[in-house]
Amino acid sequence: MAAPRELPDYVHEHKIDKITLDIIENALANIRFEMDRVLVTTAVSPVIREQADEFPLIADRKGRMVIGQFGSAIDVILKNSPYEISDLREGDVIATNDPYMMEGSTSHLPDLLLLRPIFHGGELVGYSSQWGNLMDVGGTTAGSIPVEARSIYEEGVRMPPVKLYSEGKLNEEVLYMFCHNTRMPKQVEADVKAIAAGTAVGAARVKELCDRFGRETYLEACDALLDRTRSGVIELIRRYLPDGQRFTFEDFTDDDGLGNGPIKLRLTMWRDGDSLNFDWTGTEEQVPGPVNFYLNPEMFKMFAGVFLIMAFAPTLVFNDGYYDVISVHLPEGSVLRPRFPAPLSNRLVIMARHFDVLQALFSKAIDGFSVSGSYGTSPNFVYAGTDQEGRSFQTMEILYGGIPARPGGDGLDGHSWWPEFFAVPTEYLEKYYPLRVESYAARPDSCGAGKWRGGCGISKTYTFLADGHITYQDDRAYTYPYGVDGGRHGESSRKFLVRKGTEERIPLLSKVQNVPVYVGDQLIFETAGGGGLGDPMERDPGKVEADVRRGLVSAEKALAEYGVVLEAAGSVDAAGTEKERARRLSARTGPLDQFDYGPLPPIDELRETIARTRREFNEWLSEQ
Amino acid sequence: MAYNVAVDVGGTFTDVLVFDEKTGALTLEKVLSTPENQSIGVIRGVEQACRKLQIPFSELKLFFHGTTVVTNLLLENAGARVGLITNRGHEQILYLARAWTPGPLYGWMGMQKPDPLADIPDTRGLGGRIGADGKETVPLDDAEVRQAIKELVEQGVASLAIAFLNSYLNPAHERRARDIAREMYPELPVSISSDMVQEYGEYERALTTVVNTYARPRVIRYLTGLDESLKEKGFRGTLNIVRSDGGTMSTHAAAESPVHIALSGPSGGAVGTAYLARVVGVPNVLALDMGGTSTDVSLVLGGEATVRREVRLGYYEFKSPAVDVHSVGAGGGSIAHVSITGGLLVGPMSAGAMPGPASYGRGGTQATVTDANVVLHRLPPGVRLGGSVGLDEEAARKAVQAVADQLGLPLVEAAQGIIDIVNENMYAALRVVSVERGYDPREFGLVAFGGAGPMHANALGRLIHASPVIIPPTPGVMSAFGFLSSNIQNEFAETYLRIAEETEGASLQGRLKGLEVEANKWLAEEGVADDARNYDYFVDCRYYLQNIQIPCRVVLDEATGDTCTFLRERFEAEHERRYGFRLDAPVEMASLRVIARGEIQGVELRGAAVDESASAEAARTGEEQVYFSGEWLATPLYDRSLLRPGAQISGPAVVVQEDTTTVIEPGYRGSVDKLGNILIHVEVA
Repeated sequence: MAAPRELPDYVHEHKIDKITLDIIENALANIRFEMDRVLVTTAVSPVIREQADEFPLIADRKGRMVIGQFGSAIDVILKNSPYEISDLREGDVIATNDPYMMEGSTSHLPDLLLLRPIFHGGELVGYSSQWGNLMDVGGTTAGSIPVEARSIYEEGVRMPPVKLYSEGKLNEEVLYMFCHNTRMPKQVEADVKAIAAGTAVGAARVKELCDRFGRETYLEACDALLDRTRSGVIELIRRYLPDGQRFTFEDFTDDDGLGNGPIKLRLTMWRDGDSLNFDWTGTEEQVPGPVNFYLNPEMFKMFAGVFLIMAFAPTLVFNDGYYDVISVHLPEGSVLRPRFPAPLSNRLVIMARHFDVLQALFSKAIDGFSVSGSYGTSPNFVYAGTDQEGRSFQTMEILYGGIPARPGGDGLDGHSWWPEFFAVPTEYLEKYYPLRVESYAARPDSCGAGKWRGGCGISKTYTFLADGHITYQDDRAYTYPYGVDGGRHGESSRKFLVRKGTEERIPLLSKVQNVPVYVGDQLIFETAGGGGLGDPMERDPGKVEADVRRGLVSAEKALAEYGVVLEAAGSVDAAGTEKERARRLSARTGPLDQFDYGPLPPIDELRETIARTRREFNEWLSEQ
Repeated sequence: MAYNVAVDVGGTFTDVLVFDEKTGALTLEKVLSTPENQSIGVIRGVEQACRKLQIPFSELKLFFHGTTVVTNLLLENAGARVGLITNRGHEQILYLARAWTPGPLYGWMGMQKPDPLADIPDTRGLGGRIGADGKETVPLDDAEVRQAIKELVEQGVASLAIAFLNSYLNPAHERRARDIAREMYPELPVSISSDMVQEYGEYERALTTVVNTYARPRVIRYLTGLDESLKEKGFRGTLNIVRSDGGTMSTHAAAESPVHIALSGPSGGAVGTAYLARVVGVPNVLALDMGGTSTDVSLVLGGEATVRREVRLGYYEFKSPAVDVHSVGAGGGSIAHVSITGGLLVGPMSAGAMPGPASYGRGGTQATVTDANVVLHRLPPGVRLGGSVGLDEEAARKAVQAVADQLGLPLVEAAQGIIDIVNENMYAALRVVSVERGYDPREFGLVAFGGAGPMHANALGRLIHASPVIIPPTPGVMSAFGFLSSNIQNEFAETYLRIAEETEGASLQGRLKGLEVEANKWLAEEGVADDARNYDYFVDCRYYLQNIQIPCRVVLDEATGDTCTFLRERFEAEHERRYGFRLDAPVEMASLRVIARGEIQGVELRGAAVDESASAEAARTGEEQVYFSGEWLATPLYDRSLLRPGAQISGPAVVVQEDTTTVIEPGYRGSVDKLGNILIHVEVA
């Protein structure tokens, strides 16, 4: 029995005609895209301008997201600010980058969030908000994602929620103070202004809607939109999830960058009538290194709902309307709810794994709909130093890998798991920074085999043209992206350093900080592949042939994993393949596992390996 | 030879418009398109027009042709098998496609990614390398080039694209490889990336080159065939192909760079609108071209169509100058449907030409925008579309009723809802090209055309506060009309990447002059007389490290001082207008462009005298009950062909003509100007 619960205030009859509501919904969606465009075109940070690492939203007057992607925690931000709602004025913009002050709305210090109240006729009608990934916010390493931080104090300057603009006037001192604490004050200032411009566009457009339809109609529309999405999600829960059954899944993040790992994430899900419940009990306690992911519970509900929407009803608008139908328990002091001042900068490794775990649970619960594990983080690479003309430089680049296989389709090779991101052009990197990109390609055989195979990870080789230091974070070096429904696991990630004039490929760990590099050295950066979906013996041999022709799968793997026999010219030997597959199927002793985690050693053994390799690596590093 | 002809090939119809230089008369002919070979329809249409005018082909002087050959082969994956030569280690440049995944979160679950236009097995990576300073770091090995080309040709590629890293700074390797290919296989079409795009971004440059190469064999065949057929018919004039940026070029130039004619058709509407804007004296207008499946909107500023540097077609976005046309899936055939949460949606699916809207009586059962217009009598019963297709009102009511039932609304309210939603979609598109670019639509007029545009124009003018709303005399053939007003045009650009404050004016001037030399050579090849050649100079600027390029127009004499600081105010003013802020950062001159124009006189509208006493009464053909915002109003109907300059029509009114229907809302007044345009203004009480 579902416990009786209080209905949200927006669940009621709406005094707005349907057509006007549809029009306002349309208009809000367009506003969001316009905010994207303004920020991406005016920012100078390559992670915003070339990779689009930024997210906008429009919220109602109670701070609930009516359009956007990551949910809103405006009420928490205001609660943690020195302001009451009555202190907010037209033209104010509140800025913060402190994840603890916004309960994880953004999850590390480089993400700066701006929040702009929107007034119409003197009345508060909503908020526009946007955050973007700044190039640097200080701390112990360039790019402000220090792998070895032990508290958030090492990760950079923290701006508590304060008014960056008061009634339209820039608070120059606050901005100066903030930018002064970064390695790239001018660029950071430019990006902050670009984010402000994005929120200003959002606010202007909402005001125009109020002008056009009347303020009361607009406010009623916000309520109705929240209500509408709520009904849609309830419908999806009823239609696709079995009532009463409990599903549990666990997976691991490799390590925290200080030698602690693997880090277990465990999630249980059950449907109870119209509500969907999640419990992260059994998840690892917070770790000393900065991989803790301070997960905002509302944001998690957003992710869970969005999965259902994107899988089954992609035209449904995402908003905060369904928060009361999903519940989540996040154990205090766990890696998902760390206690201040635990370090957070490299949270993406756990954030990405939490998505893997959530997807796996839905794969278990929903009949006929499964997706596999992904490359498992958002690898982030920084190269900083001083070039031959004495100018300091700092790159920041996000890399991609193998996307999960999905029903009816292979995982994408070397694509971004994150929406609307782009790879940085080689010519941009080479023009503005002292490096050369020698190669950039999908990693052959890194993709998990399956009826639908996982995506391949990527392999990218850089030659450094100036002395400097490199810092990066990746994961899935000790663990593997899982395969599902008989699909095989993807390959793990790896990195190598090749010193100038040598042939030796020195293996590096998946998370390193300030490794010195010199002119002519090379870094080989290889990300993990995605897991496969379904029995590889059922894969269309023609697809296997195409993969081999493209160099994504080797002929050996075609035979070993898929039972596909290829002729010398590369075409499928149909008779040979049929025979080979029949032979293998008859040799099977039982059904295939629902999940393939790869050749993981016992956890205690893995724990020791992770600690030992980190010690050995640190010894090596001290000699460089 | 005193006639110019424009031919616009569309999905359903091929439009032919002939301009008589002596009398100024325009003659219109429409024939069915022949998608399997567009030139058959083209020739047929011109033949019919010539027959109507009783002239031979030899009387035709300038021939302007807008074609969808490139558009179609890209959308239908029907191009050539392309080989790609690039750098070793970067062979998957097209395959990886910059790693882009669509939004929102989990967008990868539904992403459909086509195979690359040059597949990995048809790609070869070579060892030569140009650095980011433009210097050669590893020389190109001729033997390796030969081997790669030989392999690709032997395995069956029909055309070749060459795209090396940093070639925008130094094209030497690309040119050398091209020369080798030409020497080995003189018949093999070859394109190099530094000829196609002169700016950084290896993926976009390679893609643009490959798109070009993908289209070339078929475009070459098509243009050669058309040229020969026209000659056979006795045509002795000049055949010009319309470019995506609204200019034209010779068939030779089009065969070299078919990527530049990908949006050949839509550009005509914008260029025609620009011409109309100039002669009507409303230099700033929004253009609204509403057809059966989609609506194209664009902006005309100071009598010129605005141009952008990218074209998006299906999955591909490549670099090519094109009229800044924004398309939405909103047209007369757009289908109304109800979402999972009970919301009313219109489009982007369309009933197309077959079966078409329910009211066409060809078996369509789903409610479309046209059906909603029929239900509300904005398309009055008895009107025959294109002069021949009658409307089945009962079928329209039945289709819209099904939507009404799902919504729980009365029939007319559902029909009104469909109109309101489709208008909203077009309104959003108009905002993208105006408000989002920093322009206030209240300072603009609105020119509406296409088969369905004039029916929705008044409503859109009202929504976006643009005035006057202008309905041209022949809204159904606006693209062809635009072609007649085109000039021979091309763009010459290069990447500059210099800081304005640190660069001597003479350096900038020298580079611009260099581009002008190239441009001048091209115009000479196109046969443009010396005194008809014009050049516009642009420096595309941004704050250092930004991702935008804001075009700043310059004249050569300005670039003389110790620095190019004169650009700063021009750039910053525009940046502030668009984005609302300025920065304390250096201004980077990202790229330089020279636009070369050869002026040709294709059309000249001559007005009739305006007769102040002209009355609309003579054109009145009847009266109908039409539904406007909640009530049925007795609404007079007019025949457009009988309206004379000076005539005034008070709304509500519906003006019917062969290729479209114009709705004038209550509270508005339409007046016919000397050129035959209907100008709709708010009625002054």
